[in-house]
Amino acid sequence: MNESDSIKVIRFSGELEIARKNEIRNALAASEDARAVLLDLAEVTYADSIALTELLRYCITAQREARPVALVIRTPQFARLVQYAGLASAFKIFQDSRDALEYLAECARQ
Amino acid sequence: MSRQFQAPLILTLALLTIVVALLVAGGLFVRSVVGQAFSDAERVRTARVHVADMLKQQLDEETGMRGYAAVRIPAMLDSYYGGRANLPLYFQRVRSDLEALKLPQALPALRDARRTNYRWLHQVAFPIIVTRGRRAALELRGKTLIDRFRIDAAAIDAALARRTALVNERAQMAVLWVGGFALGAIVAVVLAALIFTVAQYRLGVRLERERDESEHERRKSAEARAAYEAEKRIADTLQQALSERVFPALPALSLSATYVPATEETKIGGDWYDAVQLSEERVLLAIGDVTGHGIEAVVAMNKARQLLIRCALLDATPEHVLQRVNLELVRGKSPIITAISGVIDTRTREFAYAAAGHPPPVLFEPGRRARLLEFGSLPLGVTPTAEYRTHQVQLAPGAMIVLYTDGVIEYSRDLAEGEAALLEAVESAAQRPDADAATVIRDRIFNRQHVADDVAILAVRLLDEPGRVGLAGEAAEPAFAAGPKTGNLSWSDPSALRRTA
Repeated sequence: MNESDSIKVIRFSGELEIARKNEIRNALAASEDARAVLLDLAEVTYADSIALTELLRYCITAQREARPVALVIRTPQFARLVQYAGLASAFKIFQDSRDALEYLAECARQ
Repeated sequence: MSRQFQAPLILTLALLTIVVALLVAGGLFVRSVVGQAFSDAERVRTARVHVADMLKQQLDEETGMRGYAAVRIPAMLDSYYGGRANLPLYFQRVRSDLEALKLPQALPALRDARRTNYRWLHQVAFPIIVTRGRRAALELRGKTLIDRFRIDAAAIDAALARRTALVNERAQMAVLWVGGFALGAIVAVVLAALIFTVAQYRLGVRLERERDESEHERRKSAEARAAYEAEKRIADTLQQALSERVFPALPALSLSATYVPATEETKIGGDWYDAVQLSEERVLLAIGDVTGHGIEAVVAMNKARQLLIRCALLDATPEHVLQRVNLELVRGKSPIITAISGVIDTRTREFAYAAAGHPPPVLFEPGRRARLLEFGSLPLGVTPTAEYRTHQVQLAPGAMIVLYTDGVIEYSRDLAEGEAALLEAVESAAQRPDADAATVIRDRIFNRQHVADDVAILAVRLLDEPGRVGLAGEAAEPAFAAGPKTGNLSWSDPSALRRTA
């Protein structure tokens, strides 16, 4: 199977906040049948607690369903927020999407 | 009267005007057709009388001539002369009748009758009267001419009779027209009434709907106002409840706190703090923030607060407290909550804490720059498998610990800037030992700033000498001024976060 077929990439950018809750939820829900998910948040500069909660719940569910998820985070402000939210301790976070894809491919091989 | 009332009325009036105009025009038309028919009929009748008169005069001529020829009495010729004198007048009358009736097709017959009469007078009547020529031949010739004259007259009469039929037919048509117009008028009026009724009905429906909508709007805005007032009340109550808190009075500790409810009504949320004395020397310090806003968040906040204190009373080890609270919250399907649970021991000057998705505590120690402590586990209520870790910090005399909620550093959405402002504010509070530390920090950060989110700050000062408020200022200030610049608070800079566990 082609790696890119089984890895679903979800990309967000800008400021994630309560007004975008449905957008975030729908985008995440669309990946429920994927084998592995790359959450590309490289362009995200801020997330409020509602948006962080959505991401957090999604990652927890994926973890429970043994679906590998890799997060790409690049902006320092957002990385700090993610650290606060405890995501950094519980999930795989990368600065570069290539590293993230490699990790996911590795997961798929195992 | 509003525009929407006028539209159907104007439409109906316009329709009625058209109908009335059509009716008047139709009536006039019918009247003229019927009038024409009647006057034509009258004229035809007169014309036929004239034709009959013409025949009668001709008969007078013939009778007079025959009588005279038989008895030769001159008086017998009176009717002959009378007819002869009158006939041209009747020819003239019939001619003008035919012209008036526009019957040119009958004119040749009239001309022929005239010529025939003329011939009869000269070729038959005159020779017989003066007894010239053969009598029998003249008689035969006379009969031929008179037959011809009568055929002409009959032809004229027939043309007139045909015209009568035509006129009658036209009159009948006119009557039909009248009926048609009457019917059309009735239909038009019914139609207009129907249109008016439908328009009125639709207008009524629309007005009702608009009334319903405006009623709905009014109710909704009243509900929104009520909801806003309820939230405002909750916010006020919260603030009051938090500000009236009686803090544990330990000789070695100075506690201060502040709570600012969000100014945006929808953002009133679930920030809280607590300071509870556990034993003679130990005080539980807790701060938390429920994700979401409104009454639900407030209710969840209250539950979590009670839960955390209850757990801490059983076993105050920060990681155990958070683990138990987390399990309870996950089981109760609570909203996600970030929190710090900590214990400060005034005897050993130890501060132990565990964080759950919450911004890190700030530590200030005399002679050093304020700094952020370690943090970083999942928030409460996410997953039962979340693990928490207790961090321990040995505090110097005069140290200050500040716990806060994310509104303190996220007001500008630039976390680095928010953290720098917080550290600076903590330092400036530390320099004013007589002031209320939490208030100083709040005022430094939110000086003329708009507080969008809830904000809670809990500050604990460890007094260097029991009973004396303040810190080792003489040691702190020079060292502080000469202290290393730690303004660089990039998240990736590990030196900004000192692991003390």
